[in-house]
Amino acid sequence: MPRFSRWQGIVLCVAALVSTVWLAVTNQLILYIHPRYIVFTVIMTVLGLALVIASFGRSPDQEHEQEQEHEHEHEHEYEDAAPRSYRRAISVVGTVVTLVMATALVVVPPATLTTATADQRVINSTQVGSGTKTVDSAASAPAGAFARFTVLDWSSLLRQTTDASFYRDKAANVVGFITKDRDDPQNVFYVSRFVITCCAVDAQPVGVPVFLPNWQNRFAADHWVRVSGSFQTNPSTKSQQSIALVPTATTKVDQPSEPYLY
Amino acid sequence: MGLVVGLGGIAAVFVVRALTPVLGPWSLPNRVQDLLTLSISVIIESLPFVILGIVLSILVQVWVPDRWIMRILPRNAFLRRAMISFLGIFLPVCECGNVPLARGLIVKGFTVSESMTFLLAAPIVNPITILTTGQAFGFDSWIFAARLVGGFVIANVIGWLFSKHPDQDSLLTDRFAAECRLPDPHEHDQTRWQKSVELFTRESGVIMPALFIGSLIAGLVQVAVPRSLLLSLGSNPLWSILAMMALAFVISVCSNVDSFFILPFASTFMPGSIAVFLVFGPIIDIKMLALMRTTFRAKVLVQLTVIVGLLSALIGLVVNYFA
Repeated sequence: MPRFSRWQGIVLCVAALVSTVWLAVTNQLILYIHPRYIVFTVIMTVLGLALVIASFGRSPDQEHEQEQEHEHEHEHEYEDAAPRSYRRAISVVGTVVTLVMATALVVVPPATLTTATADQRVINSTQVGSGTKTVDSAASAPAGAFARFTVLDWSSLLRQTTDASFYRDKAANVVGFITKDRDDPQNVFYVSRFVITCCAVDAQPVGVPVFLPNWQNRFAADHWVRVSGSFQTNPSTKSQQSIALVPTATTKVDQPSEPYLY
Repeated sequence: MGLVVGLGGIAAVFVVRALTPVLGPWSLPNRVQDLLTLSISVIIESLPFVILGIVLSILVQVWVPDRWIMRILPRNAFLRRAMISFLGIFLPVCECGNVPLARGLIVKGFTVSESMTFLLAAPIVNPITILTTGQAFGFDSWIFAARLVGGFVIANVIGWLFSKHPDQDSLLTDRFAAECRLPDPHEHDQTRWQKSVELFTRESGVIMPALFIGSLIAGLVQVAVPRSLLLSLGSNPLWSILAMMALAFVISVCSNVDSFFILPFASTFMPGSIAVFLVFGPIIDIKMLALMRTTFRAKVLVQLTVIVGLLSALIGLVVNYFA
């Protein structure tokens, strides 16, 4: 293997491993993976870093000797292979792409997924979360418990029943980011969260429809908000959601330290 | 000297990583931001498994005596591949970590088809995947049985088919075939520790670029393909199978947890299509193809994808018929 490829691997390892350590130290690893994998990830990252550091300690003589041996083996192999120019072009493009990704990994500030992915994956398109609330468990919950229900809990209940009487006397207080309702973007938005199983790749958007006429005068898509209010028959004539949260208070808030739900 | 420069480099990367967020948020377009978040997510999720896979590969190549593994395997080719299918029980690495391990097994003396059998079976026939699939769908469900039996059968059929190839080395990339022909590591005047570090450098040089490119492509496809398109096909016996294959190919999620990911889809998709997702996904997806390309020729990967796709679809149709 050419010396460049060897060091490319080490450089990519350093970028990925150091970024992972930094994300773990700053408690931002949860922006990319489920919390249950953090311990395993950190252990393997430390082991990886130890191997990377050990690779720095290899003597130049050892490296030179092995480079010569490997390159001698490869000289014969590449003679019959695809044209060298084609191979080289692919190699250069691959190297540039990997280095751009490595730079992004180190330089770009960590961020959660946005409304672009929420729209692309369709809010509430599937039932998510293993411990979501059922109508029976919600019906027997004490009055104060509803204020602690998350967007995931309410969206799960809204999938199960649209009976307005079920939601009577159940005040909601939820935090999420704003995603426009496709049918009535003027008056209805979703207060949304992503639910993840393993990592951000499998994030599923869930949301609770909120009826707030001309909400765009005060907020924008992707803003994080806290919405308090009660569920009622949706006053919107355009929205396909029959029940919506009609807010008594809607305030802009900072993104929570744990933006995803599990 | 190299050690000092290397440590300095690590410190510099750490400082840059710590300083850039302080300079304020970047106003990247949402799609670009999500592309980066998704791609980085794949890298960070896969990284520990890749490291574990490389470490196990080093253990197999450098620290485990040749005879240990070869002695316990039967001589009969069918029985041998069948037993290799269960190696994942003792080496429960996720599919991306299995690539370096499978490479190590070839270097150690496995034939290419035997190593392929391990590579395809291990992500499914391993204790973590068995446990999570059973928890998600029930240990007595059709989906659970289809996944385990399907994974085992597909791996062995593929192993048998490729074992018929007269020149197994020609299935490998030139570079990897050349590495396999290098002299035995113990012939070098190196300690085992030195050889381990040398192998880590070599394997990370091959696997890490593939992981980065695979993650970027997986992120690109996720941003580009509307999920609604796939979900609209859920109730048709045939289209739901193809849709789930496409979803598994795009999502590139780890086999240890894909059961929990796909569980919510069980209410809208037919059981056969869920089984297809769980059988096809751990073997063929964007990230895995990029990683396997480090070892196998492109033509082999095309053949592998087609055969695994057809066999998975067959399993899905059978489950849809009986379940």
